[in-house]
Amino acid sequence: MNVKVDTDGTVAHQDDAGDVLLSVRNLRKYFPIKDGVLQNVVGHVKAVDGVSFDIRRGETVGLVGESGCGKSTLSGCVSGLTDPTGGSVHFNTRGRGSAHGPLDEGDRIDRMDRATFAKYRRNVQMVFQDNFASLNPRQLVVDIVGRPLRVHGIASGTALQEKVVELLEQVGLGRQHLYRYPHQFSGGQRQRISIARALALDPELIVLDEPTSALDVSVQAQILNLLNDLQAERHLAYLFITHDLSVVRHMADRTITMYLGKVVEEGPTQDLFETPEHPYTKVLLAAKPDLDDDPDVPIQTLAGSIPDPARPPSGCRFHTRCPVATSTCGWEIDDIVRELETREDLFDKLVGVDRKSDLEATLTFSDSAAAHAVWEAIRSDSVPETMRDAIETLDVRDGALMVRFAKPSAIELREVGTGHRAACILAGE
Amino acid sequence: MSVTDPNAAPMRETAFSVRTRRWRELSATILSNPTTVIGLVIIVALLAMAVFAPWLASPNTPDPYQMPRDWGAVRMPPGTPGHVLGTTNQGGDVFYGVVWGSRTSLQLSIVVVSVTVCIGIAIGSIAGLVGGWVDEALMRIVDVFLSIPELIFALAVAAILGPSFSNIILSLCIVFWVKYARIMRAQIILVRQADYVKAATVIGDSKFNIFRRDILPNAVTPIAVQATLDMGNIVLVGATLSFIGLSESGIAEWGVLVSEGQAGIASGRWWASTFPGLMIFLWALAFNLVGDGLRDALDPRTEGR
Ligand SMILES: Nc1ncnc2c1ncn2[C@@H]1O[C@H](COP(=O)(O)OP(=O)(O)OP(=O)(O)O)[C@@H](O)[C@H]1O
Ligand code: SF4
Ligand SMILES: [Mg+2]
Repeated sequence: MNVKVDTDGTVAHQDDAGDVLLSVRNLRKYFPIKDGVLQNVVGHVKAVDGVSFDIRRGETVGLVGESGCGKSTLSGCVSGLTDPTGGSVHFNTRGRGSAHGPLDEGDRIDRMDRATFAKYRRNVQMVFQDNFASLNPRQLVVDIVGRPLRVHGIASGTALQEKVVELLEQVGLGRQHLYRYPHQFSGGQRQRISIARALALDPELIVLDEPTSALDVSVQAQILNLLNDLQAERHLAYLFITHDLSVVRHMADRTITMYLGKVVEEGPTQDLFETPEHPYTKVLLAAKPDLDDDPDVPIQTLAGSIPDPARPPSGCRFHTRCPVATSTCGWEIDDIVRELETREDLFDKLVGVDRKSDLEATLTFSDSAAAHAVWEAIRSDSVPETMRDAIETLDVRDGALMVRFAKPSAIELREVGTGHRAACILAGE
Repeated sequence: MSVTDPNAAPMRETAFSVRTRRWRELSATILSNPTTVIGLVIIVALLAMAVFAPWLASPNTPDPYQMPRDWGAVRMPPGTPGHVLGTTNQGGDVFYGVVWGSRTSLQLSIVVVSVTVCIGIAIGSIAGLVGGWVDEALMRIVDVFLSIPELIFALAVAAILGPSFSNIILSLCIVFWVKYARIMRAQIILVRQADYVKAATVIGDSKFNIFRRDILPNAVTPIAVQATLDMGNIVLVGATLSFIGLSESGIAEWGVLVSEGQAGIASGRWWASTFPGLMIFLWALAFNLVGDGLRDALDPRTEGR
């Protein structure tokens, strides 16, 4: 299988394109950071920054990654809740069993005509993590689950009620629950109501944003089984977002690992779990002592903090925390500044950073002793060795420190196995 | 002939009982608080007084909201036959003023509260939904309004408009909408990002329906509390404005009566001011008690969970 993305983000060629339900191409979502009374935009949080992937009919794609890496933002773009900053989302609205060519410009959800967009709306539904917040507390179950049917003019009156009963029965609830408010149910039951609502329009894709994270372990298993049964019955596709690797392993046909707004690895779930290629995926997997043991253990956070998504590291975004980073992974001036931030005594004396590029800058200090100390520190063991190796020139003159890094390698997702891709220079070696 | 669903009838019954359950539960919570019950009892008594005013004190002037004048019985003490609470300097029956004053107060508070709640909900919703510079501009106006104490602001507006009872209503309307706008905006911003709003969007419902069904019903509860408190506060502020002479003299309004009767206090004629003053106090107290009870009962930390 071979997915190529043209520069304009259209889907050029796919082997089994006939089965593709959703294509995301080079998707970006930047949130402006505003500051001051005038609310000037001072920067952007790059929540999703160039993501591409496909979902095929009837397939479950798992999406994992640390908190804040952009999973929910991505799911919002996929389900049409959020307008992306760039890139595109394509959806096949031709219906189940239709023969069709690859998805094209006409399938872009932001360029669809009204009727096609309405089909897309019917076909992509969502289930959220917070089972309480996802149901309007002022509405009865019959109104909540029946609402999609009413909005799309599918049923009304007694027919609507019977259709709702049918939906409730499919998720393990029944007629006796029609006239109850959400607060009269348990968390698991509320999640079932959410699922019934998502099923009402008979969609092809359901985006599940951490659907079981807020539930007790025993209830989690019931909901996961329900989702599996429904998928088998209705040939549903799922985009399954979770923190919980054992859930992905249980549910997903393919898994995507995200880090700081980018996809770092993607592949068949089994391959990804057995032979992870990206160091980040490896760390995530290693952080789980035994996958079959306790499904409730969350992904352990890595050493070091997640870099600011408004100022993501260049090169490989993971290089600031990667245990196996090399000298060409993307070391840059910001790494020196980040390193300095941990040394308050020296950071206080930094008066200016004159950047020529991400790789070259002159750092000015208030006294030459400080500049010297930093020079010393960079040459000694107090910075990662690979970072030191990446420095081409390092000069100190009076209070000024001139640094230039070597150009890093280009790091992109590349094939490391059948349908298995990773964005790491070490991958596949 | 139509085919009836055997389940339909009992269903509808359940639906009704469930739909009203929230109100029953809410009433139960409210009634379990003794101070709220005291407030409610006073309110019911005051409302009864307003409703039955023509029977409690029948008017003998063409305009029942004007104090009747009995020049043959001025400055009578309480207990005088025909004048249970005494009379004023102008021979006005204090009991008549107390009774019909409840109508005046009810009119004042209902008009002002409904007008200001509507304005506040509209402005707050626009600010919260539209956002951007519209929100900024509206909220700056709100800030300016809120930086001036209510009473002083109402006083200034009423003074500019000139002394009359309808100008008091107008000035209170101009002053009292701001709090509602601010509460509503905060609520809208909170509620609009709830997952059920996202779910409704994904379903494909229209923005208007989402506002009507999801955002508005979940945003207005704090408005109800504030409105109840303001039913009391408005009468207090209105009476204060009347007291300092911004109303018309001679009308059956508690503030006016207190104002016109205060001169006599020094000479021992306490009744002309005291009884209407007591009514203002009771009115404000009762609505504040109920407002506080409502706030506790509607506390989002306990309600509906
Ligand atoms: N509406 C918004 N405005 C500004 N920043 C936002 C907004 N929504 C998300 N972000 C930022 O974008 C980044 C990604 O957020 P997102 O919610 O997509 O992460 P996530 O992977 O779903 O995390 P979690 O696992 O905690 O749910 C975060 O840094 C977050 O602070
Ligand atoms: S490219 Fe690979 S080795 Fe280099 S920092 Fe990134 S993950 Fe680590
Ligand atoms: Mg999330």
